[in-house]
This record gives sequence, structure tokens and C-alpha cells, in this order.
Amino acid sequence: MSHATIRLPDHQIELLSAGYRRELAQRRRMALVGFVILMLAVLLSGFVAEVRPGVLFENIGKFTSYFGRIFYLDTGALVFTDIGEWFWGFWKWGKQLIDTLLIAYLGTLFGAIFAFLICFSAAINLTPQAGIRFAARRYLEFCRTVPEIVFALIFVVAFGLGPVPGVLAIMIHTIGALGKLFAEVVENIDMKPVEGIVASGGTRWQSIRYGVLPQVLPNFASYALLRFEINVRGASVMGFVGAGGIGQDLIEAIRKFYYSDVSAILLMIIATVMVIDIATERLRHRLITMEQGR
Amino acid sequence: MIPPRDLFPDRAAVSARHPAIMAGSRRAQIIGWALVALLVALTVLSLSRLEFSFARLGSGLVQLGTFLGLMIPPSPGAQLATFSKALAETVAIAFLGTLLAAILSFPIGFLAARNVMTNRVVQFMTRRFSDSIRGVDTLIWALIWINVVGLGPFAGVLAIMTSDIGSFSKLYSEAIESVDRKPSEGVISTGGSSLHAVRFGIIPAVLPVLISQTLYYFESNTRSATIIGIVGAGGIGLHLAEMIRTFEWDRVAFIILMVLATVALIDFVSSRLRLALVGQRTTPV
Amino acid sequence: MLELHSVTRRFGANRAVDNVSLAIEPGSFVGVIGRSGAGKSTLLRMINRLLDPTEGSIRWNGRDVTQLKGAELRAWRMRCAMVFQQFNIVGRLDVLTNVLMGRLNHMSEPRSLLKMWRAEDKAIAISALDQFDMTALAGQRAESLSGGQQQRVAICRALVQEPDIILADEPIASLDPRNTRLVMDALLRLNRHFGITIVCNLHDLDIAKDYCGRLVGMAQGRVVFDGAPDSLTEAAARELYGLEADEAMTMIPASQPITGLQHAAAAA
Repeated sequence: MSHATIRLPDHQIELLSAGYRRELAQRRRMALVGFVILMLAVLLSGFVAEVRPGVLFENIGKFTSYFGRIFYLDTGALVFTDIGEWFWGFWKWGKQLIDTLLIAYLGTLFGAIFAFLICFSAAINLTPQAGIRFAARRYLEFCRTVPEIVFALIFVVAFGLGPVPGVLAIMIHTIGALGKLFAEVVENIDMKPVEGIVASGGTRWQSIRYGVLPQVLPNFASYALLRFEINVRGASVMGFVGAGGIGQDLIEAIRKFYYSDVSAILLMIIATVMVIDIATERLRHRLITMEQGR
Repeated sequence: MIPPRDLFPDRAAVSARHPAIMAGSRRAQIIGWALVALLVALTVLSLSRLEFSFARLGSGLVQLGTFLGLMIPPSPGAQLATFSKALAETVAIAFLGTLLAAILSFPIGFLAARNVMTNRVVQFMTRRFSDSIRGVDTLIWALIWINVVGLGPFAGVLAIMTSDIGSFSKLYSEAIESVDRKPSEGVISTGGSSLHAVRFGIIPAVLPVLISQTLYYFESNTRSATIIGIVGAGGIGLHLAEMIRTFEWDRVAFIILMVLATVALIDFVSSRLRLALVGQRTTPV
Repeated sequence: MLELHSVTRRFGANRAVDNVSLAIEPGSFVGVIGRSGAGKSTLLRMINRLLDPTEGSIRWNGRDVTQLKGAELRAWRMRCAMVFQQFNIVGRLDVLTNVLMGRLNHMSEPRSLLKMWRAEDKAIAISALDQFDMTALAGQRAESLSGGQQQRVAICRALVQEPDIILADEPIASLDPRNTRLVMDALLRLNRHFGITIVCNLHDLDIAKDYCGRLVGMAQGRVVFDGAPDSLTEAAARELYGLEADEAMTMIPASQPITGLQHAAAAA
């Protein structure tokens, strides 16, 4: 047996590893404290949220059987045996899905436009006045934090049932979400070109148009596309509160136990979201490579 | 004084010599305008299909103004205790949902990561699985779970958990894929198995990133948890929807303010924790 | 005539520019010299109003420009064009658009935002590029150009503003020796041909002596020398630059001054 390293005498090993162990023990203690705190939080919130694992285990069969049942038609046959019967409402749902996409489109477009107009006021490098910046940031935060469904609930009362409140709700939430991201992009730009234009006598909007925009546009477009994908998903449940789109039929199907309809509508939503997901990802990728390629 | 002078006396001649520059890039202009025209046409079409009208927007805005007036001053009425309990429930739902999703997504993330899962079929199926979950909104999951465990916050926990498994699996697998390969190569080179490489080469590197992303989601899940009550899955949402339906606008405003304060608090705590754990701000988009 | 009356600029407790008074004759070529951090850059930026003075006033033909706001401020900025060390052009826009930035104040705002340039403005921009033999680059992205080319684009932008003054803030500090000459020659030509007043911050003393008709030496925010280049003794220069003296005075070996040109401004 030959060893590349000579084994040190035991007492020397003991001495050398003591420090290592002390450090390790310190970290272990920290981890233990963290773990205990986490566990306490889990127990407390488990109590508050009325978690009953027993109920879950008793009824977990229902979850799988639910997914089983949504794949059977009323006649008792598997849905795949009669696609026509399964997707009997294909055209109706298709139209509602198109409405859903349009809600998401309009909400994203108008949201992005307003976010664009506001984001410069929230960026420290373009708006040194603390008051304006504070107001812009709080406004964006408000739009972002209140969930869009809450806006939809309120707007349905004000504007009446239909897609109009849905679009407005998504728009407001998008202003908040995109406004914040846009402002962060703007804060990371190179200010020299902007300074150059200001020094030649350009106005605020001229320096934004030519100094800021060329630097941020690819990022803005990329974020807006990402947001569109998120908004399609959000628009799919706007119908839950009467704000248009496919959600209306979906909640009815779930509530009234039209099992095969649930699976058909869900599949159509999933397929749509996936297509949008892939398409926007392609587009964003193109945007980025185009930017680097030039 | 300098007399008035012409800095460019030969500009007519120079521009005549460079007609191409004077004309500019027609192609770029045409593409630009075509794109704008397309967007405008689509927008107008959508607006008319979704039954937008100035009359409707106008009367709605007037109504909204009335509501806003009624919201001031915000007041909980006699229901402060009820609202507070519901809000605590909301936070508990978000916390448990996020934690459970994180624990369950951890292995799924590895299965979906190209650099760990060499079996392309498994990797592809896992990706599609998480994509499908993500395609379904939290509210829909809440409705489905209500069928299983009945009305109440537990259904909410499960709904948040389910929809987050979709997001976390994707985020985690992307984080794992972007990890530096050199440490795991080092482990392999000493004769370690590929499981060793994951344990000592990848997990130490990605764990802080994963935790930071999870903490980030805790805040956004609190926002989701405020609304699942609308379909009966516990939390403040039930009261919020009820107050809106019964036009108790001062209470609506109060609940919204409570939610804003809570989310701000959680955002603060989670960003402090992220800072302590990772040592820098990482904001996944 | 550009006059500075006891101009001071503080950043916190630090006085970047301290009680500076200067009068600059129309058509002169003034070099502001001194070591880095002496306040040269702050001084130029205050004239263009990228920074506001803490105290004192800046007057142009008797008119106080430190109080200008809005459209009048922009009109003043157009009159005193700025050339920067890092060029400050927009890398992602093409060269012609960058030059047209100097015309923004000559057209209506909506028109400019929609990129609907008038033929007149375009012709002027092309003529400016033509004066520096750069029309071939008009369609290229500015960031693909070399440093010297980018600086000349920046000078074109300044030129199409049809300015009375050009403020050049270390225009050659980021350039190699050959481009240094090209850029300084360009500024000198604008001074000689069109009588545009040039105020130029320079770190390099030899270049300053070659091109400028008058030197203003700054140290710790104060003017410590003001006079013809010949009157700046080596000892005075060493004091002005301190530890940086060798670097500032020998970076470029004493080159042939462009005979007869350096005092042309004063004569014009």
C-alpha cells in the first residue's frame, strides 16, 4: 500500500480539525434555529389554514377520480371515443377563447402604453425630483399589488358585465407590473447619449425618444410579450366574475359538474397558452439575437 | 459681434450628390408603418368586437368616481376581527402553498433540467407536465380542489401549491441548467458518481438561487391567496367579493389597504431574507 | 462675449469650481488646462447648464443664462454646443440620425419625435458629414465606428447646431495620437473658418500649447493662470499639474505647431 499523503499523528489531526468543527457547529446551530422557526411557522399556519391531512388522504381519491371522471362523457364512454361529442362546443368555446386572447391583447397593449408613459417618471436617472418619482412609484405599486380579479369585480359593477371590465382590469395590473420592470430597465441605461442630446438643446421627450428608446426598446418589447402570455392566463378566469372570455363557461362546467366539458375547455386553454408561450418565446429570442447581431 | 454666417453654403450641391442618403431607408420606413397599421387595425377590431363604446366607458367612469367617493374614509365597520382573521388565513395559505410547492418541485426541477436528466423523454415529459400545470390559473385549481377537500382554506393551500409546482419546476430547472459545470466535473473526476456530482457539484451552487426565487414567489402568492376566496377557497377574498357585491365601498377600501400593507410587509421581509441568504438582490422575472 | 462672474459650484462640502471669473472673446480658442479633478469639466458643464452653479452668474452678450428655463434654456444649449470625452452619441442609431440630433431644436417637437426630418435639415447634416469626409458612413450604426470617427460625428452634431460656442470637454482623452490630431484640427478649422468660439478642456499641455490662443489654468476649482501659451513657464506648468506633470507634458513628444494657426483666433 502506498499513500500519496502521509497520515498525520492523531493528536495533530485532532488539533487541526477542531477549528473546522467549531465553524461547522456554528453553522449547524444557525441552520437548526432556522429550521425550528420554519417548523413553528408551518404549524401555526397549518392551524390557521385549517390543514387537515386526514381529509386530504381520505379524499385524495376524489382528486384522481375527478380527473378520471372529466375524461368520461355523460354516456359513460371515454371521451376519446367520440371527439365530436367531447368537443361539441368547439366553435362556441373557440370564439370565447378568441375573446379571451383579445382581452389579453388589449389589456397588454394599453397597459404597456401607459406603463411606457409613466416609467420614465419612476426612474431616478430621468426624474431627479423625489416627489414625482415617489408618486409614480406608489401608483405603479398600487396597480401591481391589487390583483386584477379584484379590479375586475369592481369594474363589473361600474361598467356592466362583459369583456370591457376584463380589459380594464388587466390593463391596470399590466401598468403596474410593466411600469416597474420598464423603470428598472431605464435605470440601467447608459446616460451619456441622453446627456449628449440634452446638451444640444433637446426636450425631455426628444432625449427619451432618441437617447433612451434605442437602448431600451428590445427589453421593453420582450417584457411586454412575456406579460401578454401571463395576461392570456389571467384573462381565462375573468369570466369567473363576469368579465368576459372563456371563464364564464368554464366555471359553469365545473360548478354544474359537466365533466367532459371541463376537460375539453381546460385542454383548449392549455393548448392556447402553450402556443402563445412558444410563440412569444421565439419572438423574444429573435428580438435578443437581432439586437446582438446588429 | 460675429456677423450672420452660413456654415453650410454648399448644402444644395452636397445633398444633390447624395440622393440615397437624402431619401433614407424606404424599406425600414415601410416596415415600420405597416407594423403600426397592423397593430392599429387589430386594436380597432378588438375594441369593436369586445363592445367598447365611449358611452359605456363614460358612464362606467362616472360610476367608478361615485364608488371612489364612497370609499373615503375606509372603514372596517364592525368586522375588523373577521377581516384580520381572514387576512391571517390568507398569509398562512400563501406560506404553506409556497413551501409545499417548493419541496415537491425540487426533484421535478432536476428531472426537467437538461444537464442532469440525460433521458430526453423523461426531461421532455416533465417539461410539458409543468407547462400544462402553468397553463391553468390558480383560481381554476382552487375550484378543482374544492371538489376534493371541500370549501375552505385547505383547498386554497392545495391550489397555490399546484399552480406553483408548474412555475417552480420551470424556474428551478432553468437555474439548474445555468449552473457552472466545472464543480460537477471536478466531483466526477475524483471518481464520484453522477448522483455525487448533483449532491456536491450542483446543489450547493443552486440552493441559494432556488430559495431566493421561492421567497420572491411568497410575495406574489400572497396576492394570489387574497383572491382564491372569491371561489370559496378561504382567505380574505370571500369577504372582499361580498363587500363589493353589497356595495360596502368603505369596507372594500379598508380590505384593499390591509392587503397592500400585508403584501408590502411580506415583500420587505422576503427581500431582507433573500439579501441575507444570497447576499445580493436577484429578481427573477 | 461670454462672461463668468464669480461662479462657484459645490458638491456637498467640496467646492468643485471656486469663485471663477472669466471673459471669453468671440472667436477665440481657449484651452482650459489643469490636472484631473481641477474643476475643468464642472466649469464647462455649467456653461451649457448641464449643471447649475451654486453661486455667481454666466452671461452671454450681457444676458444672464443661469436663469434660463424651458425653450430659452434649450435655445441657449443649442448656441453653445457640447463635445464630450466619451462622445455621448447614441450608439444604436445611425450616423446621420446622430448628426440630426443637433437639429432637434430647429424643428417642431411632434415632427422630430416621428422622425420626419425636413429635407433642409437632412441636407445640412449631410453637408456637415461631407466637411469631414464621412458621408460614406451615414447609414452605419454609430457604435460600429472607431473612437476618432465617433468623436467627429459628435463634432458634426455640434456643427449642425450652428453654434456660437463649442464647449469641448476633454475631446481627445479617449483617442490615440493620430485621431487626437484629426479631432483637434477639426475644432481648429471650425474656429478659423466660421469664427466659432472654442472652449476646450485639455489635459495634455503640449496639445493645448499647439492649438489654443489662450490658456486658462485651473487648480482646486480656482483659476491660477490666464494668459498666452508662451507666458506659461515650465515651472508654472509643473506647479499646475503637480505629480501629473510628466504625464501631461511628455505624453506626446513636442510636435510641430501648425505654424501661424495657433494665434489665428485672436487675430480673427
